[in-house]
Amino acid sequence: MKDIYYFTKKELLEVWRTKRLLILLIVFIIFGILSPLMAKLTPEILKSSFGSEIQLTIPEPTSIDSWVQFYKNITQMGIYILVILYSNSVSGEVSRGSLTNLVTKGLNRSAVITSKYLVIAMQGVVAVCLSFSITAAYTAYYFPDNNSPHIVIALVPLLIFILFLSALIVFGSAISSNSFAGLLFTITTIALFYLMNLFENISKFNPISLIGENVSILQGETQLNEQYWAMSISLLATIFLFSAAISVMNKKKL
Amino acid sequence: MEIPEIVLDNLLLFIPLILLEVGLMITALIHVLKHPDYKFGNKLMWILIVVFIQIIGPIVYFVFGRGENE
Amino acid sequence: MNILTLENVSKKFGEKLILDGINLTVPEGSIYGFVGKNGAGKTTTMKMVLGLEDLTEGSIKIKGESVTFGNTKTNQWTGYLPDVPEFYGFMSAGEYLKLCGEITGIPKSELSTKVKSMLKKVGLEDSKQPIKKFSRGMKQRLGAAQALLNEPKLLICDEPTSALDPNGRREFLDLLYSLKENVTIIFSTHILNDVERICDHVGILNEGKIIADTTLTDLKKQFASSKMEVLMEAKDNVLLEDILNRLIHEGKVQTYEKANESYFVSYSGDYADLLEELYGSCKKAHIVPNLLRKIEPSLESIFLEVTR
Repeated sequence: MKDIYYFTKKELLEVWRTKRLLILLIVFIIFGILSPLMAKLTPEILKSSFGSEIQLTIPEPTSIDSWVQFYKNITQMGIYILVILYSNSVSGEVSRGSLTNLVTKGLNRSAVITSKYLVIAMQGVVAVCLSFSITAAYTAYYFPDNNSPHIVIALVPLLIFILFLSALIVFGSAISSNSFAGLLFTITTIALFYLMNLFENISKFNPISLIGENVSILQGETQLNEQYWAMSISLLATIFLFSAAISVMNKKKL
Repeated sequence: MEIPEIVLDNLLLFIPLILLEVGLMITALIHVLKHPDYKFGNKLMWILIVVFIQIIGPIVYFVFGRGENE
Repeated sequence: MNILTLENVSKKFGEKLILDGINLTVPEGSIYGFVGKNGAGKTTTMKMVLGLEDLTEGSIKIKGESVTFGNTKTNQWTGYLPDVPEFYGFMSAGEYLKLCGEITGIPKSELSTKVKSMLKKVGLEDSKQPIKKFSRGMKQRLGAAQALLNEPKLLICDEPTSALDPNGRREFLDLLYSLKENVTIIFSTHILNDVERICDHVGILNEGKIIADTTLTDLKKQFASSKMEVLMEAKDNVLLEDILNRLIHEGKVQTYEKANESYFVSYSGDYADLLEELYGSCKKAHIVPNLLRKIEPSLESIFLEVTR
């Protein structure tokens, strides 16, 4: 337990001093602002690109458009920045040899994995929540309609997906010898999940469905309890990947 | 210089966005100039990337470009 | 009492046999020089002792406790200085040592004084910059500091001097020697001079086998090839050769060879007897040697002989 505390302190210092945390937060803040902005600008851009002669009936944007943009930005770009930033989290330390000193001093190897997981998951959750709050504030100001009643509930599946993704990143990094292999593993796994989602009877259990129905949930069209299976499977997979990463680490040659 | 109407209408969105972009760009630019060892590429290339590719440029630099010893 | 024993340890990388059933014992309180050519398996052996590498066969015990691969309990007694120590570049030397101390479980109340005194010991007390700006020598010194911080019973150094300049090397060896009181030290090296300077025990690893594991004095006795050196005024060399040829004929000297100005004489039997005989003969021939001395075998000559 003590090892986890000390190594987590080191991890936090590292993400702070190497500016990774700052980059992640800035990018997610930008997404938070960009989402409502894109919702507002899309009709304008459509208008100007078609010219003013043709009278198009473009509906006024609503809060839904703002949230569509938000989930698109986060799930199609944001999460991959987390993956890219941390896919060398374990492999980097193993290949550089910076763990050797500490492990020969009695640092528990499982504490390395635990701390890394905690710090990555925490950053992901904080970044998403920050981005969410900004989008929520702007959306409330610019689109004061009643189309999106359940915004907080809709965020829950995304946060659970972040917990799962963080475990995937740590596991991928633990089994790889360099950052590129770790990146490739994580991206390929996500791609496979997307592929599996094409089969309707599987999608109910598929972790990837946690980042597909958020807009429908916030409108009230889908209920959160329809995703209980996917959420449970994701949490189980998180525990499995996390434990697997520890046993890989325990057998690693340093 | 004339500021487009669309920007004036959404100042609340544009001002923080521009501040963040410029801030990110300046942070990256200072880093590029102060730490002249990169994983690949040269100084001029990174200056151009950081300054002219908004948001993505500085991120690509911080993630892929900066040297091991920063 | 032996602090470290290796019994019948073998290591294969794939099909390649790196270590072939080696046995080693390191007595408590010794400075043990672990010698071998580059790539002989010294680093692998040390990593196995630290539980960083698994064994194909055999067992390793530190203070009677078995070393296990992965998380090993025996690491509480060991300190390790890798050949190229790696740290966290974003930390300062003080911060790094503090982290090491926290992990080894040094009480908070003692930690900051301990870190300070250790930094002073290795001459890094004024460094405030991050480790990524350190020179090679500074990193080596920080490596020593981190290895000694937890006051280990067994200090394992992998080629600690090979990256240092002559001054740094001398300082580092002096530092190791000064620790002899409290710590058993194993250090691997291919610089035999270093071993002769401070070690009392030697192990020689060659082609996956231990071919010597004993004290330096015993090793030298074992491989003492009886040799002496004779130096004459150049004009007397002819007379000396006559004497040596006669001694060969009488079976008291085996061979001799001339290198530079000196004659190197190999003999069988007692040194004192030969000295008397040779000196007597010289006196009779009215020549006076400038130098007569027994030659101690150097570790280098032993090493070359046993690894041939």
